[in-house]
Amino acid sequence: MKESNLTFTWRMMLLAFLLPPLLILAIDITFYGSFKGIDSNVSFTRFSNATLTAYMLCSLFLLGNLFFYGESRNRPLAPLVGMFFATALGVVATVFFIGQGPMLLEDNGSVRAQAIYNVVHMFVSSGAILVAMGVALGVTFSAITSQKQRNNFELEEE
Amino acid sequence: MNIRACSKGMDEMLVALFLFWIPVAMVPLGLWYSMSSPLKNASSRGRLFAFTGVVLICISPWTVPSSPSTAAGHLLGAIIGPCMLILLGIYLISFSGNVPVGKLPRSDRKLGVLMTGFGFIWLAGMHWWILTPQLSPNEVNHYWFVFWPTFIILTSCLASCSAVTLLMIGEQRKAESNAMFIVSGLSFSILILGLNVDGPLITADEFREHLWLAVADLAGITVGTLLSIFVFALVIYSYERSLPAPKSISPPTESELKQVSTLIASHLGGEDE
Repeated sequence: MKESNLTFTWRMMLLAFLLPPLLILAIDITFYGSFKGIDSNVSFTRFSNATLTAYMLCSLFLLGNLFFYGESRNRPLAPLVGMFFATALGVVATVFFIGQGPMLLEDNGSVRAQAIYNVVHMFVSSGAILVAMGVALGVTFSAITSQKQRNNFELEEE
Repeated sequence: MNIRACSKGMDEMLVALFLFWIPVAMVPLGLWYSMSSPLKNASSRGRLFAFTGVVLICISPWTVPSSPSTAAGHLLGAIIGPCMLILLGIYLISFSGNVPVGKLPRSDRKLGVLMTGFGFIWLAGMHWWILTPQLSPNEVNHYWFVFWPTFIILTSCLASCSAVTLLMIGEQRKAESNAMFIVSGLSFSILILGLNVDGPLITADEFREHLWLAVADLAGITVGTLLSIFVFALVIYSYERSLPAPKSISPPTESELKQVSTLIASHLGGEDE
């Protein structure tokens, strides 16, 4: 007997992904009448620092990848220089915005301290993301392999 | 977290460079070397290099006590045990099931479930029991407030997404989808517990504040990463577009066509069934 499948849509996937935080927000609004515990200024500072740091580190990683791209193209200099400038722009933007004062400066005393804190913070966040992805993918895989072996011919006959 | 303006001597910075930042760089470099080098024994040498980096990071709170960044090394030392238990447990559960290659004995399944469960209990004990990573008595490692909410909320989100994906794409995957909904629900329950039940060192309000900071962090990482990928694609696209069109070659001659048709004819056909 074939089960009826849901229609695949990206909106549905996105909604499923955002469901837990949306549920917490709904519970908070129901019980406390407001978004309890959210300080928009602090959250914005964290969001901006995370954006700048992720852009900077990811650009550096992709800059490294351009060497492999160059292998098949007789090592052209133009994309390497372009990506180098894009990465440098990220570094300059990070330093500039942190240097503007309390907007992006968290509890740290200087631009350098904040920049180093951002990088270490990013390592910890990335570690948490990797472990969470490992758990989600691993459990999905183990849920699939723990079922009875399927007979492909039966499926084809249906 | 209060990193003061740098008024330290050069020596302390050099010590931090050699005993924290270079070991941090050793981990990806070692992994990259182990995976990409064609040399004999490169794999084991690279892994040893990365492992040495991990050990040096873990002991950095003692070797470089003056650097606040080494709190991340302290956290790594604290969470590496439960995380490895969880991931190894999931590996044992996965490969003791119906897999075509690398199948493990059926008995490994129970061991895997035990290891995964114990790993999660260990992590929960860091929030609600005496296992909380502390830099000094009653001073919680501030990076724990980054790791724990990020891990729990992302696990819940990804498991929920995976459950819906299994329902939408998979054929007869309702049982697997239900398992993923249970994982998502369990993670969500831990979140709700954290938002309402105080631990010995972590209050519910603190957890709530850090949970929304973790959400802001995840959103920022997504935006930053997508932006850098977009710039990368733009750079490649601009370069490829600036290249001259490849020269077209002349059509094949009569003799070349004849040779090709002879070759094709000799490879066509087969035995009757």
